[in-house]
Amino acid sequence: MTASHEIETLLRETAEKLLREKKVNLFLGYEKASLPFRTAPLFLTAPEDAQRLAWNPFCSANLAVYLPRLFKAPADAREAALAAPPTVGMVLKGCDARSVVALIQERQLQREKLVLVGVACPGMVDMLKAQRAVRGCEVLGAGEDAQGNVRAVVEDGTEVTLRRAEILADACQECRTPMPSIRDIMLGTAVENKDTGVARQRTAEFGSKPLDARWACFQAMLSKCIRCNACRQACPMCYCKDCLLDQTRPKWVSAGSDISDVTIYHLVRAFHMAGRCTQCGACARACPVGIDARLLARKLSQEVEDLYGYRPGEGIEATPPLSTFAMDDPQEFLTEPSLIPAPYHPAGEAQQGGRAQ
Amino acid sequence: MSQTQSVQQAASEKGWEPRIVAFLCNWCSYAGADLAGVSRIQYPHNIRIIRVPCSGRINPAFLLRALQNGADGVLVSGCHPGDCHYISGNLVARRRFSLLKDLLQYVGIEPERVQFTWVSASEGGRFAAIVEKVVEQVRHLGPNRKLVKTL
Repeated sequence: MTASHEIETLLRETAEKLLREKKVNLFLGYEKASLPFRTAPLFLTAPEDAQRLAWNPFCSANLAVYLPRLFKAPADAREAALAAPPTVGMVLKGCDARSVVALIQERQLQREKLVLVGVACPGMVDMLKAQRAVRGCEVLGAGEDAQGNVRAVVEDGTEVTLRRAEILADACQECRTPMPSIRDIMLGTAVENKDTGVARQRTAEFGSKPLDARWACFQAMLSKCIRCNACRQACPMCYCKDCLLDQTRPKWVSAGSDISDVTIYHLVRAFHMAGRCTQCGACARACPVGIDARLLARKLSQEVEDLYGYRPGEGIEATPPLSTFAMDDPQEFLTEPSLIPAPYHPAGEAQQGGRAQ
Repeated sequence: MSQTQSVQQAASEKGWEPRIVAFLCNWCSYAGADLAGVSRIQYPHNIRIIRVPCSGRINPAFLLRALQNGADGVLVSGCHPGDCHYISGNLVARRRFSLLKDLLQYVGIEPERVQFTWVSASEGGRFAAIVEKVVEQVRHLGPNRKLVKTL
């Protein structure tokens, strides 16, 4: 795999060239942020600023979230005449590419207006995990060593090495396609896509608990939620202009952090993501109180894959599973009337007769 | 004593009656429920019917909202596959409901709280049997305390 600093150099050259040759009006990338273990999104318009672009183990944000608003449909003919959609260049990892594909599928982006600069992603660092790994020490700066591990300078000036594999974000540990599936330009060498099986293992782990334990666990997690909607804002697939959760007539989900409202919020949002979520981990990363919103999305993704053989963000031509149907879709979940005797009592409790007596 | 009466009696002893909200499609299931009534088929009176144009009209938020507002169970019924008045509304809904049921079970809500079925306009008997089954299952589970909003 190509080292990060080489990719960084290539990336700066590429962005500079694209902007100078007017192939793009805007280039989306990352720049160094003021805090360690972080990067900030960078919106480049001038070729001479390309030196600000960064590529390091902290480029975790999903830049696809900014795209739908750039390609927003004009309100009327006058607005359409004033502003043509821009041509946007963008650096993208495997997960960003999945989001871009899903957005093109849903007709939120115009493929011909995008110049996609792909990088094979070695997995990005989770800021919280990294902070935990330095055991609460103040970190003055962080970088990457030759092996791809993270080196951090802590408050007393000593340097510590954090093994990358241990501080990878959850979503990156589960990632099956670190190679961007669509790209116009590829920087560095390719990596192989492979299924680590971690996602299924995590789903199975939660799913194997008894029903009430699952509920207790779920509620304990959600009790921290402050309904800031950061998970929704960070999500590239949450682009609805009028979100169901914001509607007041009728009000489907009340505002406020009452536990039942919070639960409904997360269930509705997860359900809206069914068959669309590209597992980029933006929601979990955005959460200020550490809720793993991916718990539900992960389960639904696997369910969609098992039932309908569909993986979001992997083919522009594919039809999202919930916008279509098959005559022979599985329907074992349906309730059938029970004639004598009803078999639903697991404890073998004697059943009172059938229906017609 | 009919079964309905015996069920009512048993429930009044416990002092709690399940409340089931039923979302029925206009073209098949609502007519099926109507037929059950016209044919004087007895079934538990625990359901409150909401008529919707098609099972494809039902947003999962409707069902969650019903449970939040105090329903002990939700029943959704549409036309049999192939019979939809809008050709494919129930087929699109089928995928949705299948995932919703899995999701709710995954987070720890009893699967019997949310039930889906098909009832055609000529199946009054089937409708009554379904309602009996759903009411009985929800009665067995007890009141819905998980999603309901308490102030």
